[in-house]
Amino acid sequence: MNKIITLIISLFVSSIFAQVPAGYKAVKETDGFKQKMEEQSKLINSIESDFTQEKYLSVMSEKIITKGHFLFKKVNMLRWEYTEPLKYLIAINKDKMFIKDNGKVSKYDINSNKMFKSINEMMMSTVNGTLLNNKDYQPSYFENDKLYLIELTPLQKGAKDFLKVIQLYVQKTDYAVVKVKMIEPGDDYTTIEFTNRKTNQPISDEKFIVK
Amino acid sequence: MKNLLLNSFIIILISSCSLGHYGKLKKVNTIKDSLPHSIFGENFNSFLFKTNIRVYGKEYSGLLVTKQMEPNDYRVIFTTELGMKLFDFQFKDSTFTLHYCVPQFNRAALLNTIQKDIEVLLMNNLKTHSSSVYTDAKNTTNIIKIDFGKTQNYYFINQEQKQLIKIEQAKKNRKKTTFTLGNYIDNFPNNILIQHHDIKLKIELNLLKK
Repeated sequence: MNKIITLIISLFVSSIFAQVPAGYKAVKETDGFKQKMEEQSKLINSIESDFTQEKYLSVMSEKIITKGHFLFKKVNMLRWEYTEPLKYLIAINKDKMFIKDNGKVSKYDINSNKMFKSINEMMMSTVNGTLLNNKDYQPSYFENDKLYLIELTPLQKGAKDFLKVIQLYVQKTDYAVVKVKMIEPGDDYTTIEFTNRKTNQPISDEKFIVK
Repeated sequence: MKNLLLNSFIIILISSCSLGHYGKLKKVNTIKDSLPHSIFGENFNSFLFKTNIRVYGKEYSGLLVTKQMEPNDYRVIFTTELGMKLFDFQFKDSTFTLHYCVPQFNRAALLNTIQKDIEVLLMNNLKTHSSSVYTDAKNTTNIIKIDFGKTQNYYFINQEQKQLIKIEQAKKNRKKTTFTLGNYIDNFPNNILIQHHDIKLKIELNLLKK
């Protein structure tokens, strides 16, 4: 009988704190974690990695899987390149953005377009974890024995329309972002998993100019 | 005299416009199967296309997924390469439902045109309209005409491979939109080009996966 009561209570309690993802517990020392994350990102001058992106469309029970390679170099240089099953490249070089699609290169001024600006912010902060300090999101911190999980809930109305929460999975060993999950107001989501990550390898600036 | 010349010139011009394109087709009554087969078939699989939509100088690029959910129920979703959903359409029987759409696409004229174009490609509900079969002058292509009342669709099927290579949508005998279907692999056109002639809209679909 006691067991049943305990079960009911624990179910009730867990439903109150339903925000805590299964297998994780809340981080107690959030300031310490944030500080450590910032210290680590200061040590990084460049990142190179493969990525696998999965877009889940709930109505179709369908996953669109795309793969590619990305490069990041301080300050504000990013090359995000899909190689499978399509060829598509986005490169950000400070305030310029390049898109190469079907062999055709288009060049944009990031500040000229609100959408490009938010793409830039999103991609940059995803890669180097600076999204934590972004005032447009309310962060919550969780952890298990291997990973930190940071949940960022958008506060701006515009962002809320198409984004319910962003989850950043951070490896405890080196504070690297290993997975990002963007959950939409429906049940659709996009995950990006990073593999073969190398940091502080020399990357030529040429890589961030697309011709 | 001058007026007469001008008038006859105009008459010739008008008549050549209206007859020009479809006037040369020969009607045949020997072909029994007078409905084109749907390119997507009845298979409940999904099809993933790299898609570019060019409309009045603006370009939208992304991934388009089509999936048959049930007989006569199709879902079509367009997302950016980065995963952001741009629109979500449902075509069930003869009812269209817009489930989602970003503000950039939320313009009635544009949405309506894209919806109609996808409807043509899905080739749903053709049975309920009257059809007739023609051949071209060289007798290499069969052309099935389906009359939707205000518009007519012409389905061009090459006789040798029995592949649907083109769909033309016409209004008052004038070509409005051309759908070119090419690069057939496993009986499916891997490249589809939708070109509008009366507005600046071009949609390119290249199959990535099915």
